[in-house]
Amino acid sequence: MALTDIEEERRRRRRAGDPRLSQEDRELLLRMVTGDLQDEFQAALDGDLAADPLLGPGPDPEDS
Amino acid sequence: MIVVDEYLVVRVVAGGWPENLPDTEELAITAGSHWRLLRRLHGPSGGQLSQIVAALSTAGRDALRFPHPEVFRVLDSRPILDEAAQIAVRYGGTGWLISETLAAGLTHGRTLYFGTERNVGRLFRSAADDLGIAIKIVH
Repeated sequence: MALTDIEEERRRRRRAGDPRLSQEDRELLLRMVTGDLQDEFQAALDGDLAADPLLGPGPDPEDS
Repeated sequence: MIVVDEYLVVRVVAGGWPENLPDTEELAITAGSHWRLLRRLHGPSGGQLSQIVAALSTAGRDALRFPHPEVFRVLDSRPILDEAAQIAVRYGGTGWLISETLAAGLTHGRTLYFGTERNVGRLFRSAADDLGIAIKIVH
């Protein structure tokens, strides 16, 4: 197999996603980040920062 | 190595590769970002999101818990710990997530990829600009 073929194969596998997932799993995950649950997903991420003083930046002085 | 945020890694795992995300290098996420995803899996926050997480199969959960090496990697924080600490001090207590992500950006091509502008805070953008790190939003 030529080197270019190997690179192309890697790209193809990378773009295909995790081979362990079912189609239903794929649809559920995409709802979180590109679909109707995106707002809730972002709120959960923001909540982690607010709740964890090591992880998050602390209060924004411009918000006080 | 291309460093991405939580949105993009979930999208890529699900096979929804954004057309304007480069595919010539391996994808990686910081340990802090992976931590936030794992928090979602292990600690439901209520609402519809928790229902979706609960509906994932074991394989679906494992795809985020134990990354497939051909899909994405979790960056080792240890080599960038010192730079992250310097960044935290320089920009006034940015917290681990921002400091680690900026240090990863400095190490891996001075470019960071995000799935939405909403996941880039004001402090993060200001520090990235100062450090010469490009922030690219891909859809």
